Amino acid sequence: MLLKRCLAEVVGTYILVFFGAGSAAINLMIAHGAAKPNPFNIGIGTLGGLGDWLAIGMAFAIAIAAVIYSLGRVSGAHINPAVTIALWSIGKFPAKDVVPYIVAQLIGATLASLSFLACVGPNAALIGGLGATAPFPGISYGQAILTEAIGTFLLMLVIMGIAVDERAPPGFAGLIIGLTVGGIITTIGNITGSSLNPARTFGPYVGDSLMGIDLWFYFPIYVVGPIIGAVFAAWLYKYLSS
Amino acid sequence: MKCYICKQLGKDTDAVAICIVCGMGVCMEHLVREEIEVWKGDYPFPAKKLKKKIPRILCVTCYEAYQEG
Repeated sequence: MLLKRCLAEVVGTYILVFFGAGSAAINLMIAHGAAKPNPFNIGIGTLGGLGDWLAIGMAFAIAIAAVIYSLGRVSGAHINPAVTIALWSIGKFPAKDVVPYIVAQLIGATLASLSFLACVGPNAALIGGLGATAPFPGISYGQAILTEAIGTFLLMLVIMGIAVDERAPPGFAGLIIGLTVGGIITTIGNITGSSLNPARTFGPYVGDSLMGIDLWFYFPIYVVGPIIGAVFAAWLYKYLSS
Repeated sequence: MKCYICKQLGKDTDAVAICIVCGMGVCMEHLVREEIEVWKGDYPFPAKKLKKKIPRILCVTCYEAYQEG
């Protein structure tokens, strides 16, 4: 039943954004006031260098693994519009379910950011930005789109190989996909924030808007980049494995 | 093969099936045949219940154990 599957997507994306993006916000709040070593550092990395990003990546990794293992059989646990669109583009997901899934993912992400704001208070947005993503100092709009596309390409390639391909060994999807996202975040986190997911950026942006922070200028980066990367990976894998 | 349960009761009845759990040979009187639902699908596809079910034959003892959970 589509309603139940959409509800599962709401819950799954909620978990992803609350715990994943939430970890980035908390990191910024912990580092608040500490001397930043260089202009490329916005706070994440001030305390533990790349280890800060690894910690954020692990929060995402564990949240993703938890969602895939708990809700994967219910909705497929896409929790990412780019993944849903990529699967549709190669005929692996019905067209009529694409929009409901994306709406559900956006709702889940928004609820997560709003409830995180309610849990932590205004500083979660004013200092932590609710874990929103934006290009880091010196990174252009085009560089950010390219980075997000490459990151999501790897994510989708792994999804294709470990989960979509019927020859893949069963039971590993949640663990491997979670760790892959954790690894990607560790590397490109300090370039774009490493969203890889339009919904993951949408939720914090809505919450930040309510607190007077307007980041919507950057939103197309996190729509165009992930979708291009995911669709390209899906088609490439389909070609390679045919 | 003879029905194990009948043999215990002192009867000599031919077995018509084998319990999938304990391997006991059972006659028609001492077997339980059930249709088991089959689901297909896992991440990133929602699981779907297949139209066709798989038959499962158990002896009465194993069937009752399953019913108890």
